[in-house]
Amino acid sequence: MNQANRSYPFTAIVGQEQMKKALLLNIINPLLGGVLIRGEKGTAKSTAVRALVELLPQRIQVDGCIFGCDPIDSSSLCSQCKDKLKNNELLPETFGNMKVIDLPISATEDRVVGSLDIEHAIKKGQKRFEPGILAQANRNILYVDEVNLLEDHIVDVLLDSAAMGVNTIEREGVSYSHPSKFILVGTMNPEEGDLRPQFLDRFSMVVDVLGERDKQTRIEVIKNRLEYEKDYKEFSESFEAEQKSLREQILIAQKILKDVTYEESILELTARISIEMNVDGHRADIAMIKTAMTIAALMGRKMVSKEDLLEAAELVLPHRMRKTPFEEGAFNVDRVSKIINEIEVA
Amino acid sequence: MSISVFPFAAIIGQEKVKKALLVNVINPKIGGVIIAGEKGTAKSTLVRGLAEVSGSRQVVDLPLNITEDRLVGTIDMEKALTDGRRSFEPGIFQRAHENILYVDEVNLLSDHIVNVLLGTASSGVNKVEREGMSYSHPSQFILVGTMNQEEGLLRSQFLDRFGLYVEVTGSKSLLERKEIIARRLEYEKSPMDFIKSWEMETYYLAQEIQEAMEFLHRVKVSENVMALTAQIVESSNCAGHRAELVIIETARAMAALEKRTNIIIKDIKEAADYALPHRKREPPKETQAPQEAEQDEENQQTQEQQETQEQQETQEEKETQEQQEQQQDNRSKKEESEQPDLPPDDNMENNRHNEETQKNPQNDQTSVDQIDEIGRTFVVRNLNIKPMDRKKRKGEGKRAKTKTDSNKGQYVRNGIPKGKLHDIAFDATIRAAAPFQAYRENHGLSIAIEHTDFREKRREKRTGSTILFIVDASGSMGAKKRMSAVKGAIVSLLNDAYQKRDQVGLIAFRKNEAETVLQITRSVDLAQKCLQSLPTGGRTPLAAGLLKGYEIIKNATKKNPDILPIIVLVSDGRTNVSLQEEDAFEDALKMAKKLKEVGIQSIVVDTENDFIKLGLAQEIAQAMGAKYFKVEELEGDGLADAVREYSI
Repeated sequence: MNQANRSYPFTAIVGQEQMKKALLLNIINPLLGGVLIRGEKGTAKSTAVRALVELLPQRIQVDGCIFGCDPIDSSSLCSQCKDKLKNNELLPETFGNMKVIDLPISATEDRVVGSLDIEHAIKKGQKRFEPGILAQANRNILYVDEVNLLEDHIVDVLLDSAAMGVNTIEREGVSYSHPSKFILVGTMNPEEGDLRPQFLDRFSMVVDVLGERDKQTRIEVIKNRLEYEKDYKEFSESFEAEQKSLREQILIAQKILKDVTYEESILELTARISIEMNVDGHRADIAMIKTAMTIAALMGRKMVSKEDLLEAAELVLPHRMRKTPFEEGAFNVDRVSKIINEIEVA
Repeated sequence: MSISVFPFAAIIGQEKVKKALLVNVINPKIGGVIIAGEKGTAKSTLVRGLAEVSGSRQVVDLPLNITEDRLVGTIDMEKALTDGRRSFEPGIFQRAHENILYVDEVNLLSDHIVNVLLGTASSGVNKVEREGMSYSHPSQFILVGTMNQEEGLLRSQFLDRFGLYVEVTGSKSLLERKEIIARRLEYEKSPMDFIKSWEMETYYLAQEIQEAMEFLHRVKVSENVMALTAQIVESSNCAGHRAELVIIETARAMAALEKRTNIIIKDIKEAADYALPHRKREPPKETQAPQEAEQDEENQQTQEQQETQEQQETQEEKETQEQQEQQQDNRSKKEESEQPDLPPDDNMENNRHNEETQKNPQNDQTSVDQIDEIGRTFVVRNLNIKPMDRKKRKGEGKRAKTKTDSNKGQYVRNGIPKGKLHDIAFDATIRAAAPFQAYRENHGLSIAIEHTDFREKRREKRTGSTILFIVDASGSMGAKKRMSAVKGAIVSLLNDAYQKRDQVGLIAFRKNEAETVLQITRSVDLAQKCLQSLPTGGRTPLAAGLLKGYEIIKNATKKNPDILPIIVLVSDGRTNVSLQEEDAFEDALKMAKKLKEVGIQSIVVDTENDFIKLGLAQEIAQAMGAKYFKVEELEGDGLADAVREYSI
């Protein structure tokens, strides 16, 4: 618990606007599909992710459910909650905070997906499922630091769950499945290796961070950090007002998001961009428009604008434009903005 | 738990995939389908949606990390513990019986599981002989796999098990794409409502399939149909007879779908389009650029060859022209007007005997650097690299399968421990002990486990290799677009390395020294970028290149003794710069022998393409104890060839 209080305030992070925005968007709309942050060492990647803890909004969940099921969404309940509903029992509701769940790269497969509860098996002679990290991650943020160093077979597991929102276990004598819808957040240093294209595609957005180049900003970064280290309590308090207003902004955006709409022409524009930029598959289209809607919500608007779409394209497209595993597709903001400007939005 | 699924009927486009799935449901004798294609093209959505429209059939998932006991079934632990009775607890195979067995990312499935799966898929019976149980039950399922080829290919033997093959791509139509987005967003807003709004369509489709299933036995297969099928299969050079049967069964289902009792030519052709791509073995072809292959598709065989030749000629002309222009550019930049087409080491005499020329610096002036584009890439054949020893290795990768003794890797099955027990498989151990509980003294514990019960986890993991490319980047390589072709070949090897999770490094030797272009890294991406900008020019210090390679591998092994190092030398074997004061070629041979002595595995890729072959690279390869390939021999005849656009 203490650890959480010690975390660096999100609002105290200087610069890195695109990264911060990407993270906020994902909190506001958990269906966006996660973000991958790529960058050199010491660019506040992990700091930013950890700082999210303080901003995470409350949400309704089923009391006593280890997966924290959403009582309102009957399409993704775990089997226990579903049984209760079937028996006409009421699902007890409670408020819970969204969490950041860590997936350490050294995690073993049985800890990630869950396994046979050995103690129970030996004591009672019964099989029982012992939930793993993917169970905890349901409806939360799943954070993988150094995600490019994750072992292959763990990545396979993540691919499966990320795609379906369900973790299916058929191993060690256990047959079980449970909801595992998580916001996948990864950070990595590209110098240490690449991410598999299939895995890369599961991240809805990719943000490349660089160290700030501006001298004044750099000085501010140092200053903040020193003050934080001197007395983190005082430092955090000095940012409390900003933190609070950001938390409120998130809540408001979540409310607005339900009413955000777009015009037909925006839909057409999305499809056109994808075709002209030659992206693989359709995941990009859907991610683009959802991101644009969330951006509008963050700005407090109910209508998606062309600018929102352009901003979304910058987050969603660059990593999806590869034709072969390593051929870096050229992403060109100007080209997208040209496409956008060619069409008049009525 | 069951989750909501995007309705099959609401999926736009992808008609080919839909049909492949539907005919399988109508006629399970077809033997399943494999769907290959890029990311995000609704592959999985289509398969999962199938359950709703195929009557009583369900889609049973086979997760990638499945362990053997859950696949085939095993002893029921609870019953054994409480009643002391052996009874069978069925696995996935039982559940898949008369259902659809779905493997997502099927190309990533572990080898052992693939073998088990193949056995049952072909026999239709699951035989279990384990943990004191002997049991068998029918398990006939429609096997459906999806995969993304970027992650590697399937073994051809496994591929052949799938009746049909179909490829998916994203839609290019603006209207379709728009509608796809709109429907998806609507679905996400409220899955239940969306499914409801498609209920009627789903019902009609299910009805149609049901009727086709009932109609199937009325479709007749005439002699003519068989003859035509046999002819098509024969002309496409397929191995085995499965293709014929698959085509006929598919054609039957297609006829049934349209309520026809007779099969028409269209059915057979369509069926062949699905059944042949992954079974076709093409005779070795001359290298031709992919775009040419596409253009030739429609043409007759002979015409095809002619055209190809013509095209190649014109292409070559174009290339030489381009090159000349480039060279002119280079020349105008540097005043030296030495002919880069005729580098000093272009002739054997120079290399081996004429030491004066070597020592004379005046002769070293092909130093007009040029950077070649990356040429054509291809799928690399299996180079068959195996770990030399039976030592257990750590590491992540797919080049060579090794056993691992670190507690890492995927737990696929269990076994009786040999030697000291350290990676206990608790589930298997308890199962092994369970039936005996009634007779054993339990000393106050719930379960008495004896020595003989212990089971150990067997894990599977592939060790990637550490591949160090040593590339000749001297002036002679720049001539006649040789470097371009070589770069293409190396990129192909890099693609292969990516799929196998290898580490790579790159050394180039040119002018008077060898240069480490890229230290050993996991980033194949980076390797490609370095390669792209690799210039050629200058003399050929082969020995220095080999020495550098030796040093890098030595250091890498020091850091991690578990790596499996492989040197790939890309050169024509010619050299004109020596390390010591002796003949440059002899010097290189000496280094090559040294590499062999220390036991580094190696491959020599010979780039020689002159009219008169000197076979120097072959000599070097012998000295290194290396596998020897000519550049053009690297190309494989795997799926990529087989799947090349096919038309009747």
